[in-house]
Amino acid sequence: MASASANCLCEVTALRSAVNADGVFCMKPTSNCLQTSFLGSFRVQTLRAGMRSIRRAPLQPRVKCEKDDDSIEHVSVERPPYYSYLDSTSGQLEPASGARASIPGEEYWPEGTASRVRAAKAPEPTGNSLGSPSFGKNPGSRRKKYGTSVATSGSLEVGSESSSSDMEQPELGVDSNGSLEELEIAEDAMEEPKDVLAEYVVYQTEPEVEQEMGYELDKKLGRPHPFVDPKVKKPIEEPLTSEELWWNWRKPDKEQWSRWQRRRPDSETVFLKAMAETGQVKLYGDHPTLTETSLYRARRHIFKEERLQAEQERLERIGPMAYYSEWVKAWKRDTSREAVQKHFEETGENENTQLVEMFQHQTDREYRIMMGTDIRIRRDPLAMRMREDQIKQIWGGDPVYPTVNYIQDPNEIIDYRGPDFHEPTPDILSYLKEHGKIISRDELEKILAKEKTEELEITDMDEAMAQAVDIGENDDGGEESDESEVEEEEEKITRNWSVLKSTPELRKSKGKPKKEDPMSLEEAVGDSENLTDFLMDFEEEE
Amino acid sequence: MRAYGIEFKEGPEGFGVYASKDVEPLRRARVIMEIPLELMLTVSKKLPWMFFPDIIPIGHPIFDIINSTDPEKDWDLRLACLLLYAFDKQDNFWQLYGDFLPSADECTSLLLATEEDLLELQDEALASTMRQQQKRALEFWEKNWHNGVPLKIKRLARDPERFIWAVSVAQSRCIDMQMRIGALVQDANMLIPYADMLNHSFQPNCFLHWRFKDRMLEVMINAGQRIKKGDEMTINYMCGQKNNMFMQRYGFSSAANPWDVIEFSGNARIHLESFLSAFNISGLPQEYYHNSHLSSLGGGDTFVDGAILAAARTLPTWSDRDVPPIPSLERKAAKELQEEGQKMLLAFPTTSQQDQKILDSMPEARRTLVSAIKYRLHRKLYIEKVIQAQDMYQELILY
Repeated sequence: MASASANCLCEVTALRSAVNADGVFCMKPTSNCLQTSFLGSFRVQTLRAGMRSIRRAPLQPRVKCEKDDDSIEHVSVERPPYYSYLDSTSGQLEPASGARASIPGEEYWPEGTASRVRAAKAPEPTGNSLGSPSFGKNPGSRRKKYGTSVATSGSLEVGSESSSSDMEQPELGVDSNGSLEELEIAEDAMEEPKDVLAEYVVYQTEPEVEQEMGYELDKKLGRPHPFVDPKVKKPIEEPLTSEELWWNWRKPDKEQWSRWQRRRPDSETVFLKAMAETGQVKLYGDHPTLTETSLYRARRHIFKEERLQAEQERLERIGPMAYYSEWVKAWKRDTSREAVQKHFEETGENENTQLVEMFQHQTDREYRIMMGTDIRIRRDPLAMRMREDQIKQIWGGDPVYPTVNYIQDPNEIIDYRGPDFHEPTPDILSYLKEHGKIISRDELEKILAKEKTEELEITDMDEAMAQAVDIGENDDGGEESDESEVEEEEEKITRNWSVLKSTPELRKSKGKPKKEDPMSLEEAVGDSENLTDFLMDFEEEE
Repeated sequence: MRAYGIEFKEGPEGFGVYASKDVEPLRRARVIMEIPLELMLTVSKKLPWMFFPDIIPIGHPIFDIINSTDPEKDWDLRLACLLLYAFDKQDNFWQLYGDFLPSADECTSLLLATEEDLLELQDEALASTMRQQQKRALEFWEKNWHNGVPLKIKRLARDPERFIWAVSVAQSRCIDMQMRIGALVQDANMLIPYADMLNHSFQPNCFLHWRFKDRMLEVMINAGQRIKKGDEMTINYMCGQKNNMFMQRYGFSSAANPWDVIEFSGNARIHLESFLSAFNISGLPQEYYHNSHLSSLGGGDTFVDGAILAAARTLPTWSDRDVPPIPSLERKAAKELQEEGQKMLLAFPTTSQQDQKILDSMPEARRTLVSAIKYRLHRKLYIEKVIQAQDMYQELILY
């Protein structure tokens, strides 16, 4: 058998191209079918060799059926990649997008809807109105007087809004009567008794209509026109920078409080940014937008598919041995199809065995690269070109070997604040001090000390004086008003005790007699309005 | 305002509403026109007079004029005042629609007729009624439009002719309807813009309906009415009135008025049932109609029209359950009635042929004159037709 096939081969070598062509048709990409088909093609070729010349001729003209071949329906065996649902209300196929259910027919409309729809659908009257209205001056002026023939038009539908005819401009109201076509009546239309006119001011009843020109006319008439009025159109300017583009986030004015507030990277966003930096892709701004990202995603998908397709085709073209020898550096032999064929004939090893033999020479690293399972081995050329911080943004660095992030500064003040952390309020203490609302402890002690000494002084006075009651001999009005003032201020003071201490102005009324330390008792008594000044008012102080 | 499937065409006689497409006989009445309340001019018939739409401002002297009218009798004067005021009111629809109302020389109403026209009527009762109406309108005008009235009244009707024209328009184009607005149901005299262009017919194919929901007047085709393209849309103006009432109010008459009455004196009576069966008239006395299913004659179909129906109502008849008529007596009675008819015809100064010739000879006559002559012509034709019917009846008495 081998000899027979060898003989056939020898015969067919001259027609190798045709054989190859035939052989390629029969070959399947997967290695499983390789063997059988390969051999099968051999057998077919052996059979064909003798009858080649005869069989060529009938193969060339196509077999014609009765029906035209072009009208054959090409039905795909594959099922469509979507699901279809039946609409619950109508029972029809649900629309693809989020359309509403179908509107029920007229039988289900609520009462009166049909008439409203019919009224809304009625078209405007199309006729032109002849003559002009007289506005009540000449009733019957627009009728045809003893008209000879009946004026008809096509079937007109008269429709005019009641409110519009009442409230509208008279000119437009005229149009509503336009369906009643009439001949111009010269007789009575212009005739008006002069005395009537003389008494009234004639207003402009039909305002002049401005004629539209140029662009507006085209637009009104529906003629082809540019989108924008060329008179109004602004020239195209340079695209704005990333800062100016309204859909781009602007950088915040201040430094952010924590690194958690920075942009969070998405793998595609980072990739796209890296690609933009290397110049493979042009972005509209600094950072890619959602649209650009999705566009990139789509393109990547398509490129991947194309790449896979190309690889597939390459595999089919050059044969598996040549294809996989890329991953086997140690295999130096010839991997073309002919060589494989020759080897098969010599040694009887079919292609699979030869492949196995080849893979014996592969290293495990190469294997891992070929299978693409080890992430430590970079396979993506772009990833190899990305900066380290970009890579770390996406893949987070090596979990096994420590990276820069693992190195920690022992003196670092760790910022636990999240992105929602707001700026703290400024230093309250210094703020209050500045505005005089708070005094320091030393000052406070000083003041308290002062107060204490004064009190000691006052308690030295006579019991009798303390027990004395004011009969009211002196001027009551003035005294009382002063007293009430003082008492009011006392109340004020007792509520904001600390404020008092820090605000010298409030302490004026009481402050003056108290400040003068070396005042003698008599002077103090004389100085006070009332002996009750020296009394301690326990009810108010709380 | 919406109109469906109709056209408004103007002929020498005036406007008419015609169908622009065929209509199948449905079980439901179809709407051909719907007119909203805001376009109309409406006065309620009874006190307190309410106007919808309320165009008369408070304190306007026209309201006092309207107030002074007699609640029962002067509805046309009220409407005329309202119409004249609407002509003067800015942005009112009637300012525009008034141009399409018949002007004074086109109006056939007898209020505008001269004395000569009234004499041409050859009907003294009607003539005197019309004279009375004219006098009444004139007096009203003189009373309320004397020289001392404020200008805003004076300019409404500068001359009595205008006012009388307004009264005639109000009379002839008024539609009396019962309308419900909100909870109020009232009878009103309404001047309705496009619906008053509908002409009258004794076998109408349309009727008016007030739609309460959005206050629209609907003109609807009778249910089951088959209408061809070009048919005229008609309504029944007044039910069961004689020609003179039509003439008085609307200014037209018809030779085929099924409610017209001839006063026969004498004892001659014909048998009702045999008369009816002779002409295939069926239905109740209020609703006689010609039953075309029964008649086998081809030519007899067109003979029986409103006149014969009127005859069936007005001829003196006897009917005694199942007493059969005696043909000879019937014939005698018919002959007697014929003679009476002839005598009535002779009482007229002119014959119908002469009237017809007069009409033909003056195409440019005044409208009122023409209508007056037509009125008497119709009357004579009617009587002639009744006489002819007697003839036919005599022939058809077979048993």
